[in-house]
Amino acid sequence: MSNHSLEGIKVVEMAEAWAGPVGASLLGDMGADVTKIESYPRHSLTRPTSSRYATMPGNGPVYERDALHHQGNRNKKNLAMDLRTKFGKEIMRKILSEADVFIEGYAAGKIAQLGFDWEEVQKINPNLIMISIAGWGLAGPYKNMVTLGAGLDATTGHLSVRGYPEGDFVDTHPNFHSDATGSSTIFFAILTALIQRNITGSGTFIDLSQWEALVWQFPAILADWSMNKRIPARLGNADMHIVPHGVYKTAEDDKWIVVVAENDDQWARLCEVISHSNWADLSHAYSSIIGRLKGRKEIDEAIEQFTIKYNGFDCADLLQKNNILASPVVTPPDVLLSKQLYERDWHKTIEHKWTGPVMVGGFLWNVEPDNLDWNIPTALVGEHNKEILLKLGYRSDEIDAFYKKNVIGNKYSD
Amino acid sequence: MNQPLNDICIIEFGASVAGAACTKTFSDYGARVIKIEPYDGGKLRRIPPFKNDIPSINSGAFHLAFDSGKESVIIDFSSNSGLEIIKELYKLADLVIYDLPPSNIEKLQSVLDKESGPSTVSITPHGLQGPYKDRIENDISTLAWTTRMYRNSIENEQPLRNAPESTLVQIGHTAAAVGIGIYWGHHHDKIRRDAEVSGVEAVLGNVDTGFVSWVFTGNLPQRIGGQLKTRYPTGIYPCKNGYIVLSANEEPWFSRLCIAIGHPEILKDQRFTEFREDNWEAFMTYLGPYLEKHDKNYIFTHLQKHGVMVAPVLNASDLLNDSQAIARKSFIEIKDDKNGDFHFAGAPFHMNQINDHSFQLMAAPELGMNTNDVLGEIGYSANEIIALFRAGVVG
Repeated sequence: MSNHSLEGIKVVEMAEAWAGPVGASLLGDMGADVTKIESYPRHSLTRPTSSRYATMPGNGPVYERDALHHQGNRNKKNLAMDLRTKFGKEIMRKILSEADVFIEGYAAGKIAQLGFDWEEVQKINPNLIMISIAGWGLAGPYKNMVTLGAGLDATTGHLSVRGYPEGDFVDTHPNFHSDATGSSTIFFAILTALIQRNITGSGTFIDLSQWEALVWQFPAILADWSMNKRIPARLGNADMHIVPHGVYKTAEDDKWIVVVAENDDQWARLCEVISHSNWADLSHAYSSIIGRLKGRKEIDEAIEQFTIKYNGFDCADLLQKNNILASPVVTPPDVLLSKQLYERDWHKTIEHKWTGPVMVGGFLWNVEPDNLDWNIPTALVGEHNKEILLKLGYRSDEIDAFYKKNVIGNKYSD
Repeated sequence: MNQPLNDICIIEFGASVAGAACTKTFSDYGARVIKIEPYDGGKLRRIPPFKNDIPSINSGAFHLAFDSGKESVIIDFSSNSGLEIIKELYKLADLVIYDLPPSNIEKLQSVLDKESGPSTVSITPHGLQGPYKDRIENDISTLAWTTRMYRNSIENEQPLRNAPESTLVQIGHTAAAVGIGIYWGHHHDKIRRDAEVSGVEAVLGNVDTGFVSWVFTGNLPQRIGGQLKTRYPTGIYPCKNGYIVLSANEEPWFSRLCIAIGHPEILKDQRFTEFREDNWEAFMTYLGPYLEKHDKNYIFTHLQKHGVMVAPVLNASDLLNDSQAIARKSFIEIKDDKNGDFHFAGAPFHMNQINDHSFQLMAAPELGMNTNDVLGEIGYSANEIIALFRAGVVG
């Protein structure tokens, strides 16, 4: 069964990496009718031409076998079209005239060049919700600047608090947190505008700056400065007020486990398991939170002497059985070892023309009574060109002509 | 002031980061959020920082930021009397958000009208079913399950977390998305729905993890820190007064960068056209002097003028002076007589135009300040409220 929460809502998505495509897929997961307008003849950023990217070995076009493209583009139809052409613009106008939502994820100004900014779009369909998701938004001195998630991580202050306490910034892995968080914000913003449309009867333009959609999620970074004039330090995995709170070695090479005791009860249970039960006796300094704050180094060493005897999964099982907060730091292959994900049948195996049956991550949520389904595997370039154009009223011979004139296409040149 | 979500009423349980992050966006765009809290205020109110480092149940930054505009009601729902109140409260609600252990959610749902009651979203670390359902997790241990800690680290060094609590915020905001989705569905097809958000699945199923790439290629992520020396320049680089982040390893950004730093000859140099993977050090003899000579803000504006994806690494003190944030009023100064003035982030998205009033950042409630009013609204008399208060059921 598929989820029907958003049934009847028509979404048009023109976005590449990553928040926009993922946000559109989340709408598709819940029953919206999503059409991806894919760049043509230029490849989308997520359609690599070289197998040095994260592509599956095999036959067929490389750009159909990219891992992240598959992860971010389920449950949507695909129309590959050159919007610079006269007929491309005509088709786009017809599509937008019937749509409820238009997600536009290009650099600021690009969509206006193509003739589909809000000023024009609302003339085509005054009931449309249009959302622009430029990195820094469509207003302000940075509006024409370009970025990926790593740039947003740097400029929201997040990068300044991540990383090894003693290390250099250059030791910190670039982070694309905004790509994940942006997708849920796009989803929420669109539904908010649809609800508003029910009240006002007219469409809305949403200026979503991915920077703003991310920065509110780190209230402590700015608050520590504006409340206390203190720049938050990089603490690695430590917590200033909780000991133990860290990542420890296990028996396997370069494999790790998180162990935390947030209060005296958890601490007492941990002490029992790691054979330091006297550390929880009232007479021992470490039995209190304050004592533990002073003994961080010795406590961390004692925990590691315990965790290094086990593999991460076994150690976490043992600690969690005693109601102690612990989890293995999983590697990508370790995901398959999670009994929880396995029993919940979380991973999905999908069929795709060029990858064959392939396992991908599951959904972000479940819904009862009508649970989500992978109704449309990641679409091929232009896979639904004909279906979409026939529905718009074009004849087959007109569609053939569009192919000949390169208005639409279903393959990229390598 | 009319806001888009004015017609929605939400009951929030859990007094936690994910639950509060979930309902914050609803509240900021106009929904009524009634937050059910325990007597001690729960975890969220205890998370630092606090103004002048003086801890208080009503002045923590996470509480002030994430409980904006909500109503605070203290109810001990472990008792039958508490559950009876919850049953009445459900009648006000369009949507219920739980961020509690599965056993508590089950108890609270036992008094929910499954025919005509509100839709619900349950947030738990591992979901409501399965062998790990009762495990206790926090921000860092949940992230550990998602491959992101492993990837964000250097080989043979500790895997690293993100900003404290940010994983739980991401999970909460994922719950907000499905929550508003099933609210919309319920409103239109009259089908009441129960959504389940497992924190691990919510993060692992999104992008920025390494699982799907590994399935497709069999390759593990390279754990080499901030600079990729085979596909460069991408990552974190020092400059005259700090650091910048570059994403210029691909075309057209690589060509634009070489031209911008005054070395177009790189584009005809075989070392970089054919054997770039082996010549990172040689490339840095061109890029390094440019970075050493200029500060991060100059590099940002100069390279961006050439269309290069570059950004300065900013810290907390830089944020309030950032010209883009100032122009867009991205931060809002909170005037607070008790806690002193401070700043929080403003709207995560702007409808119609900047500052169109669809977003409002209101004050966060003091613990239990709305208990009597809300109980009165659902029909309890003054005498009944006193009886419940004396028994410790409400506060």
